[in-house]
Amino acid sequence: MTEAVRTVGVSGLWKVFGRKPSEALAMAREGVARQEIQDETGCLVGVRDVTFEVNQGETFVVMGLSGSGKSTLVRCMSRLVEPTEGTVEICGADLTAADAAELRELRRHKIAMVFQHFALFPHRRVVDNVAYGLEVQGVERNERQERARELLSTVGLDGWSDHYPQQLSGGMQQRVGLARALAVDPEVLFFDEPFSALDPLIRRDMQDEFLSLQERLQRTLIFITHDFDEALKLADRIAIMRDGAFVQQGTAAEILTEPANDYVRAFTQDAPIAKVLLACALMRPLAATAPEGSWGRISTLAPLEEALPLLLASPNPLVVCDGEGEPVGLLHGEDVAEVVAGNSR
Amino acid sequence: MTAIEVPGGPAAGLGGRLRLRDSGIRRLFGALVLVFVGGYVASWLLPGFGVFPESWDVGFAEPIDRARRWLINNQTTHGLYTVFLNPISDAIDAAIRWIESALAWLPWYVYPAFTGVGLWWARSRMAGVLGFLGVWAIGVLELWEEGLSTLALMGVAVIISLAIGIPLGIAAWRSDRFAKLLRPTLDAMQTMPGFVYLIPFVLLFGIGRVPSVISVFIFAVPPVVRLTEVGLRNVAPSMVEASEMFGATDRQTLRLVRLPQARPAILAGVNQTIMLAMSMVVIAAFIGAGGLGQVVLRSLSSLDVGRATEAGVSIVIMAIILDRFSQGIATASPGRDARWIRPIFGGTVAAAVVGGLLNHSAFPEGLNWQFASYIDDAVGWMQIHLYDIADSGIGTGPFSDFVTLNLVSPLRELFSSSIPWPVMIGIGVVLGLAARGIRLGLGIGAALTLIGLLGTWENAMDTLAQVVVAVVVTLIIGIPLGIMAAQRDRFQTALNPFLDFLQTIPSFVLLVPVIMLFHVGRIPGIIASILYALPAAVHYTDLGLRRVPHEIGEAADSFGSTRLQRLRKVDLPLAAPELMVAINQTIMLVLSMVVIAGLVGGGGLGFEAVKGLRRSDSVGSGFEAGIAIVLLAGILDRLTRAVADRLRPPPAVA
Repeated sequence: MTEAVRTVGVSGLWKVFGRKPSEALAMAREGVARQEIQDETGCLVGVRDVTFEVNQGETFVVMGLSGSGKSTLVRCMSRLVEPTEGTVEICGADLTAADAAELRELRRHKIAMVFQHFALFPHRRVVDNVAYGLEVQGVERNERQERARELLSTVGLDGWSDHYPQQLSGGMQQRVGLARALAVDPEVLFFDEPFSALDPLIRRDMQDEFLSLQERLQRTLIFITHDFDEALKLADRIAIMRDGAFVQQGTAAEILTEPANDYVRAFTQDAPIAKVLLACALMRPLAATAPEGSWGRISTLAPLEEALPLLLASPNPLVVCDGEGEPVGLLHGEDVAEVVAGNSR
Repeated sequence: MTAIEVPGGPAAGLGGRLRLRDSGIRRLFGALVLVFVGGYVASWLLPGFGVFPESWDVGFAEPIDRARRWLINNQTTHGLYTVFLNPISDAIDAAIRWIESALAWLPWYVYPAFTGVGLWWARSRMAGVLGFLGVWAIGVLELWEEGLSTLALMGVAVIISLAIGIPLGIAAWRSDRFAKLLRPTLDAMQTMPGFVYLIPFVLLFGIGRVPSVISVFIFAVPPVVRLTEVGLRNVAPSMVEASEMFGATDRQTLRLVRLPQARPAILAGVNQTIMLAMSMVVIAAFIGAGGLGQVVLRSLSSLDVGRATEAGVSIVIMAIILDRFSQGIATASPGRDARWIRPIFGGTVAAAVVGGLLNHSAFPEGLNWQFASYIDDAVGWMQIHLYDIADSGIGTGPFSDFVTLNLVSPLRELFSSSIPWPVMIGIGVVLGLAARGIRLGLGIGAALTLIGLLGTWENAMDTLAQVVVAVVVTLIIGIPLGIMAAQRDRFQTALNPFLDFLQTIPSFVLLVPVIMLFHVGRIPGIIASILYALPAAVHYTDLGLRRVPHEIGEAADSFGSTRLQRLRKVDLPLAAPELMVAINQTIMLVLSMVVIAGLVGGGGLGFEAVKGLRRSDSVGSGFEAGIAIVLLAGILDRLTRAVADRLRPPPAVA
């Protein structure tokens, strides 16, 4: 594996809405509750001291219910909403310190966003929607159209370029949104609940496509959702957000196996743990004991539900192997049982 | 907030409002009684208190006339003219001439062809055919040149309106402070009957096409300003966010996202501006705008109803074509494929150039056919058979006399002399107080006093009486029609084309058919006002009732209310603010029409204003009448709007 490169760094980010942000900020620092601050100052704390890093090629999912501040967070990170305090660093550039022109440059070349309700321009054809970012950059017409058509075929919308967005189904519209974001070849992509407006079957297709696209493109993705299952499915790492603050961040396995508090546990209880957790999450590293040749073998990326029948069929642990087929760990039945049982408790 | 409070909120608010209104009514009644008693006592004590004392006339007319004389004498020498007004005037004049000669150069057949193709493209094939025939009809009626002249004047006025209006709208969207400044100005501009605009511009520019264009511009510009601003403000924030996210500059976002998104609203504004310009360009015939309006005006003055009808029909044809065409463009969806029109359009342009070079500009004379004589015959027949049917005392003539004698005149007497003027002012103050507060009350008092001081009290009360009669009749007809339209979709569908048609007719032209039936006097003016205001009354009633949320109606039904109970207890109270808007619009439209009716013997302020426009020695009194009209319009507008605001349910708690 190559060395991890940090592309996004957020540290001590605050957003306070209202007229007396500094007062509210001081109160919040002393640990005064959100409601109390609002009653006292009329200010709403949207994002509360959020710090995290995302590496190149990683998918970082921020999961929270409505009003948790996740949408504000992603808007602060692109400065669609001006953060009150803290820094956002993208590809080594300090976004929070950038002036208007620098910010524009960053937005033009480094970041892009896919929106919840698509936010496609109804007065522009699909291809002109996708070419919008390039048009804004001043790319010449033929070139940007060509690039837009290329991307439309990447997202499977060949032949739809001359339609208007509202003539397309919801799923197709979001593909356009995705193509539009990808057209500017950004380093970092923000997804603001991109699939929540779609119906469940389409949503699943889009999630699968999202995964396969990410496998190919390997961008840094910040993904906002209110759907815990979606977070588990898509994330390399997850942050659970509540009242503007991160309650817990970690891998899906960490969150499922060690929820930080009851709030997080409430989400994990209904999670399809056997589908989500992968063998590598629960395996014990290979110790002195070499695995027996007769033991069952399983891939690191296999979900627990694949391991369960094998474990039940034999008293021995399973050998977990990496992509090359080399054994890297052992998966014990009691570990799996504990997690699955703990989940259904 | 607990779950119990939520459903209780709006209901309690509504109850509170009703209670407040009840006590308000009691107080209002008490105050009115007080005003009456006090006023009558005062008028007994002080003789000559009935009519506004003439000696109090501040004599605005004299200085105005003096100013006019001064303006005329200094037109060639003073800096105001040489530096400021004359260049504007020359530029507008040149623009009109240029456009007119360009229009006249084009071969005549280009007009029906272009109209036909344009309407086909913008609306439907049927519209295209009708438009084609319509333009022919104007030529056949021998009104071709007048039509072109009207079109040229309109063209200049509309181009100026858009060139100034759209940037103003953008500026108002950009700066809240500018918007706050602009909005009351536009309100005032739209409150004033268009007719009034003519007076100051005649004073400055004399009579002719330049003051016409300027007053048309001022009358027509508000909608495009407003709707540009509204359109830009209503652009979805997510669109703007998406654009900014791609690093678009403010200019890019405006050009690529905001303006295209606001396009339907802006085009709706353009449509309204065109229609107002059309209506005003006809009225501007009073100050020498020429064109079709001139023909109507001249024919009406000499009671040549046949010719007036022909010109009126031509104006209506033009208005409908312009309306449907601009509406068609405004409502066209971006997705439709209209490329087929290009070769046809190109052919039309080519024909225009070739025909122009071949000098095919005049409409062929052999095609003329006029129906004026038939109209005259019909009017003659009507005057014999309808005006007073077989000398029986039944007919439009006796009807007019009856209404005048028993309704309009007594009301005028009541307002102007039976009720002493201090009582009238007191009533105004009390109504203002009750409707909004001390400021409106005092404002109304001041405005009424000023009307008196201008020496226009009697005329103003005359006009007020006509307005009251026309408004009451309009509402008696309009509100039930609106209720029926709201309850039955089929009725609405049947009624709509008729109302649309009425609304498309420029106000002045409406007088023509009414005069055919009722001759001249106050009654035709009132009837024309009713026809003019009826569409708005029906429309806003219908709209208000339809806005009542469906579930609330269902809730009423679920308790077993009869249709009438539901209407009375639920629908009408909830639609009350819109009903008040209906009343407001009715009053404003009626007022603007009653003033125009001054031309056909309507009397009152309108007559004074018309006289001021026509005779140079009465400009001063015309100006005074104009100010009185504006004051009256302002009073009625503010008062009804204040009541409408009062009827609105309290805003929801966030």
